[in-house]
Amino acid sequence: MIEARGLSKRYGEVVAASDVSFTVSTGEVVGLLGPNGAGKTTVLRMLAGVLTPTSGEVRVAGHGTEGEAFQLKRALGFLTGDTALYQRLTPREVLRYFGRLHDIPEAALAPRIEALVARFRLTEFADRQCGKLSAGQKQRANIARAFIHDPPALILDEPTTALDVVTGRFLLGAFREARAAGKAILLSTHVLGDAEALCDRVILLHRGRVLDQGTIAEVCARAGARTLTDAFLARVGDEVAA
Amino acid sequence: MRPRIVLHIFRKDLVETLRDRRTVVMAFVVPALIYPLLFTLLGSVATDKRGELERTQARIGAWGPVPEDTLRAVEQQARAEIVDRRAQPPPEPEAEARRLVTSKKVHVVLLTPPDSSGPSIPVRVLADSTNVDSDAMERRVSRALTEHGAEILRRRMTALGQDAAAATPLDVREDDLADAARRGASFAAALLPYLLLVLVATSGFYAALDLTAGEKERGTLQTLLTAPVRSVEIVAGKYLAVLALTLAATVCNLGSIALTLSRATAAMETGARFSLGLSSAGAIFLTVLPAALLIVALLMAVGVLARSYREGQSYLMPILLLVMVAGFASFLPGAELTPGTALVPLLNVTLLVHDILVGKAGATQVTVVWAVSLAWAVLGILLAARVFQTEQVLLSGEKPWRDVLSPGVRAGRALTPGNALSFAAVLLVLSFYGSALVEPRGGVVALILASQLGFFLVPSLLWCRLFRVPLREALQLRWPTRRGWAATVLLAAGGWSVGAVAWEQLLRFPGARAYSDWLGELLGKQGQLGLGTALLLVALLPAVAEEATFRGVVLAGLRRSGSRWIAVVGSALVFGLFHVNPYHVLAATAVGLLLGWVALESGSILPGMLIHLVNNGAQVLFDRIPGLGDRLQSPWVLALALSSTAAGLLLVRRSRRPAPEEPPGPAPVSLASP
Repeated sequence: MIEARGLSKRYGEVVAASDVSFTVSTGEVVGLLGPNGAGKTTVLRMLAGVLTPTSGEVRVAGHGTEGEAFQLKRALGFLTGDTALYQRLTPREVLRYFGRLHDIPEAALAPRIEALVARFRLTEFADRQCGKLSAGQKQRANIARAFIHDPPALILDEPTTALDVVTGRFLLGAFREARAAGKAILLSTHVLGDAEALCDRVILLHRGRVLDQGTIAEVCARAGARTLTDAFLARVGDEVAA
Repeated sequence: MRPRIVLHIFRKDLVETLRDRRTVVMAFVVPALIYPLLFTLLGSVATDKRGELERTQARIGAWGPVPEDTLRAVEQQARAEIVDRRAQPPPEPEAEARRLVTSKKVHVVLLTPPDSSGPSIPVRVLADSTNVDSDAMERRVSRALTEHGAEILRRRMTALGQDAAAATPLDVREDDLADAARRGASFAAALLPYLLLVLVATSGFYAALDLTAGEKERGTLQTLLTAPVRSVEIVAGKYLAVLALTLAATVCNLGSIALTLSRATAAMETGARFSLGLSSAGAIFLTVLPAALLIVALLMAVGVLARSYREGQSYLMPILLLVMVAGFASFLPGAELTPGTALVPLLNVTLLVHDILVGKAGATQVTVVWAVSLAWAVLGILLAARVFQTEQVLLSGEKPWRDVLSPGVRAGRALTPGNALSFAAVLLVLSFYGSALVEPRGGVVALILASQLGFFLVPSLLWCRLFRVPLREALQLRWPTRRGWAATVLLAAGGWSVGAVAWEQLLRFPGARAYSDWLGELLGKQGQLGLGTALLLVALLPAVAEEATFRGVVLAGLRRSGSRWIAVVGSALVFGLFHVNPYHVLAATAVGLLLGWVALESGSILPGMLIHLVNNGAQVLFDRIPGLGDRLQSPWVLALALSSTAAGLLLVRRSRRPAPEEPPGPAPVSLASP
């Protein structure tokens, strides 16, 4: 469903991503793990069609960025952890706005919004301006925004950053439901506990390169570690030391 | 570009902006309050001060042998009191007088040098012009001295047995030819252009900042980029939102200023009266419109380079200063609208608004400034569009200007909407200044040849070559289908009626009649040109050159906007604009709509050339053959011609050949496309 083939991104002399390749299948959650500056956000932006790769290819639901970027974006829901919502619009208005940008017919949009408001428990604050919401409420509204066009694939960039435990758990539940519904999910996170709890496979990214990828057990085994945190430290620590 | 998506972005941005209290307060509330307050406060302070000065007794120093009767006269006529009488002036009288004025002991010192005698006694009036009180009292005392001097002269004349009236050989009286309204307009013309430009900039300032740098800082711009929208749609929606807010604020401000000035001038003692009529207000608004287009484009283009709201404020401040400098021109004596100043963006608008207010501006000046300003605005909008198409700028890259100026996203082997509008802007400047050079030297024939060949056809060919676009593609050099030819024949037979009907309606306006007479002369009605030459210059040459330019390069670029309506209407407006005279602009735009539609639907430039040829040729023949125009423009013939046109328009729909080489539209997500 989500496919990266030899993705690279350079800014002059700086290499933000180098020959990154992986796939995320239908009904699968794949974790993209790496320390700060590893290139995770660059890779996610290239996959979302926001950033043009220097080389390599992106495909989401069979669509590439060249000439099919609209289809690619319609197949993707993108969520970032910095709760980027319009401060002076209400969650309901945000949902309506993105629904219209995704060309959802007006007749279908209203019930779709109400369904998402109910599903993500937004009723209490759906008509309050986003600037007046708590971080958790904003992120719930934001994930509803990412689901507005019911995309088959989701890209989640640090979705649980700075959230309390209750909201974080609520979101993880929502991601599990999405996986059960057959959506392909690429999750970038610093919280290795989230990755262990949710991901079917993980990709270790460091300095723009893929260090390892596979199931958590495979990655741990190859690193000679018992937990994902140990494996992560072992691989990234090796790289830092090198 | 999809208009409905632009509309969604526009509506959302406008709603969000109007909910920003700071923007609304700065754009609407502050200006609505500040003018009445400012003028009322200043007027009140000035009136109070004037009253206080009138009530105050002037304190006078009198040093040296100033004649006593003169002092009595000053005391009576200037309501003065001699508070410092010295028989001998001090050693440094100016320094001493300055000290006394500064310490408010005296307002004015009258000084007569020692040993002054005879029929003419020198009296110096020492006052400080930088001190309001001293300055006012100096005028009062000097007036009293002048009147007293005249009285002495009359007494002496009488004593000599002469008629006292002989002491006034010229009885001079000043009468101001300017009536109260003109004096008021002159007063307003000094202030209003500056205020208007600054208001446009300040009204759009916070909105542009919030929708560019503010959105980047909050991360919402990236969220928007993940939706299926083109960057050009984003910039268009945001631009229109800021522009709408700016124009609304400008209208409110204009009303507020006009009312305030009206009341302020009524309270002034100069007898000036100011009132802004609807037509003048409309003309000023239309003049300011292209300036607003440019200012908003610059605010957007520069604002989006900033990574945060605070950084954006620093970036946008120089634009505000530039606008203020341009607006300041209205205060400068001698600053006039000339062909040179008409080229300078914003300055030209300031000067034209000034001229409109004092009643000096003509239709040609308005059109020229409007066209030049519009060309600048187009360049500004293109800059904004280019900045928004630079992904590193939108994603808060480190060196935004480097990315904007790098050739990475420059289009190649295809004309784009931006490219086409740049071409039109270049041609506009070229033809405006080129015509000004050619016309006085070469006359009408040289002007037409230079325009059609030098300003249209050759630049069009060069432009295609410069951007490596095959001529066949850019100019649609294709043979139409049979259906296309059939439609062309119908349109050529009746198409002239569109221009004729539009022109007939426009002739109801007096300005259009004068222009029509001039045009008739140009077409050879007065025998300047032979029929063949007139047909060659006025019909054949424009049919080829103007079609290659407007239905060729311009239409080809605008077609890639993805909207057929934008392509047809845009190319017609550009075509109309080149006809300079406002009446001709309207008629030419109507013809441009027809020709653009035909070019688009037939997929060929040739039908348009033939229709254009017949249309212009018909105009020449109408003027040459007496009675032909009246016969052809009878209601029945016009109805027949319009029917033929309608039938041609229906027939030409989808008459183009299937064109596998037709270039695709721009990649839908431009940030991710190469």
